[in-house]
Amino acid sequence: MSLRSEIATLVGKSSYWFLHTFLKGGSSLPGKLTTKIDPEVLKSMGQDYDVIIITGTNGKTLTTALTVQVLKQKYQNVLTNPSGSNMEQGIVTTFLKAPKHSNEKPIAVLEVDEANVIKVTKYIKPKIMVFTNIFRDQMDRYGEIYTTYKKILDGAKLAPNATIVANGDAPIFHSDDLKNKRLFYGFNDHPELVNNDIKAKPNTDGILCPKCESILHYHSITYSNLGDYFCPNCGYHRPHLDFALTRVTELLPTSSKFDIDGNPFQIDIGGVYNIYNALAAYSVGRIMGVNPTQVAEAFHSNEHIFGRQEIIKVGDKDVTLILVKNPVGLNQVIDMISTDQHPFSFIGLLNANYADGIDTSWIWDGDFERLPKMNIKKFITGGERYKDITFRLKIAGVPDSIHEVQPSLEKIVDEIPKLPTKKVYILATYTAMIQIRNDFANKGYIKKGIE
Amino acid sequence: MANYELRIAHLYGDLMNTYGDYGNILALKYYGKQMGVQVDSTVVSLDTDFKADDYDLAVFGGGQDFEQSIVSKDLQKKKPELIKYIEEGKPMVAICGGFQMLGKYYIDANGDKMPGIGALNHHTEQQHDNRFIGNISIKNGDTGDTYKGFENHQGVTYLGEGEKPLGTIIKGYGNNGKDQSEGAIYKNVYCTYFHGPILARNGQLAKRMLLTALHNKYPDQDFSKQAAIEVPESY
Repeated sequence: MSLRSEIATLVGKSSYWFLHTFLKGGSSLPGKLTTKIDPEVLKSMGQDYDVIIITGTNGKTLTTALTVQVLKQKYQNVLTNPSGSNMEQGIVTTFLKAPKHSNEKPIAVLEVDEANVIKVTKYIKPKIMVFTNIFRDQMDRYGEIYTTYKKILDGAKLAPNATIVANGDAPIFHSDDLKNKRLFYGFNDHPELVNNDIKAKPNTDGILCPKCESILHYHSITYSNLGDYFCPNCGYHRPHLDFALTRVTELLPTSSKFDIDGNPFQIDIGGVYNIYNALAAYSVGRIMGVNPTQVAEAFHSNEHIFGRQEIIKVGDKDVTLILVKNPVGLNQVIDMISTDQHPFSFIGLLNANYADGIDTSWIWDGDFERLPKMNIKKFITGGERYKDITFRLKIAGVPDSIHEVQPSLEKIVDEIPKLPTKKVYILATYTAMIQIRNDFANKGYIKKGIE
Repeated sequence: MANYELRIAHLYGDLMNTYGDYGNILALKYYGKQMGVQVDSTVVSLDTDFKADDYDLAVFGGGQDFEQSIVSKDLQKKKPELIKYIEEGKPMVAICGGFQMLGKYYIDANGDKMPGIGALNHHTEQQHDNRFIGNISIKNGDTGDTYKGFENHQGVTYLGEGEKPLGTIIKGYGNNGKDQSEGAIYKNVYCTYFHGPILARNGQLAKRMLLTALHNKYPDQDFSKQAAIEVPESY
């Protein structure tokens, strides 16, 4: 480590200690100070680790958490960055906080924001890079899916020795000319549909053949544009899957059972998209020499990592609070709640601050038309943009007689004990989720702060 | 009310679909139902022919740059039928990329000049390192209607002969940030940069398009009842 890096690291470590001890905070400031003194500090920090980078639009956080648990089955020292600290300075802070290791070479599993991949690979040469998916995500901030993928590719080009583990069901991940070794994971639970020929729904992104620009067809679709795709014009098709989901056994809102490469697994979280996250973590684990039994153990023993879907007790109600931020994620949540075997109440909260995405148009690509067909006894819509979400549900066919409009999140919390069902789902955009958690905390239903 | 049927051509609905523009189809169906009209939609895309006679309404959304470049090539094959459709006075809403491609040409993100179909006389240039993003509202001088939406575009459009703007800026940037115009009207074609989607946020425009389509298709019928339907403000 150069003198400059050492000084930079020292400053960062002391500022982290100070912030953490006296102010109970500090995730990006120490990293900011450190990179200010030595912009290349990541280079010296990262070289002592086997680094695994996880990037993509949806599923980064859970894939990272699952991968850490899987690797811990075999390795003692596995470092990771906290959810949300996925930009350059947060990653520097993560290394600053790490305890010293003496025995085996430690592993760092890093969730990296798509646009920050290049800032990391400039200095750190990862062993493995995981690409989960690329969907439209608050495009007023990040641009289009091809721009996003190009950013990831530019980062990958600086790390030609990294093995890329990519979602093989995403057509975009097979379209480039990277030199890296490539392994794919995906769904192969319907081999009998090999002669099936279907198209994606009209408002699906990314359905052009990357080779000849015709419209892609599919043998089967898991969701959005993910599936066993092929081009009827030029023959371009899904790559061979190195790690395949071979069977879906049970889908419930709170758990899923499935087979990967013939071995049974269970995760205590609902949603097909989370099976993809598990599949990615499994793939990394297998590459790193973790056996399937250990992976199953890792998936099973760690309920707390599924924290994004927390259940809050409000009187006798079980309230599930779920973050929604883009149409693909939203449709997956709608799909997940449709597997509930009990009647429930539905609360939709829409804000349009910067962190939510300031354009609310995306809700129109959400498949709200499915809601009136579910066993939903009561709807409430609210948030700063309650008019938008209220009208969206109205057009979707939700009857006025069971639909209440309540802009105030605080009042919604008071309404919950009066709802006609034990189960309640709240779908909320980012700042609406933060606000209603505060209201839950103020009324004593949960502790303050967010993990 | 008698039962009527209208057919929407959802132009390149699988490619030009980026910012919730699909909601325009849902809004036309919703208001159609209130008017006693069965509204069906069909995606017309790369692998489909377009025949003006097959449709009573058309929706042409915005898309990503790459998809738009593919569509602009294919669109030339459909040009004669699209111009026929427009000249017959059939209603269409064209948004963002759809708006640009109905004009003479547009400059894409790479700086290349791409031909439109020239059904309308506007053209679109490219601004450098800037996008017009934000909430927007406009007023139409002829009808007095105000429209609200969300704009997000890099292209800057200048209207040509025979076109009127959809409205004058109250708040926002509009076609080019200079001349206070937003969108374009030619015959019964409504062009705009509004997402939101425009017909969901501005039900009176959806109603107007539906009434035009009904009069076109059923010239001897009386639609005064449909015309009297109130469209409450949805936003």
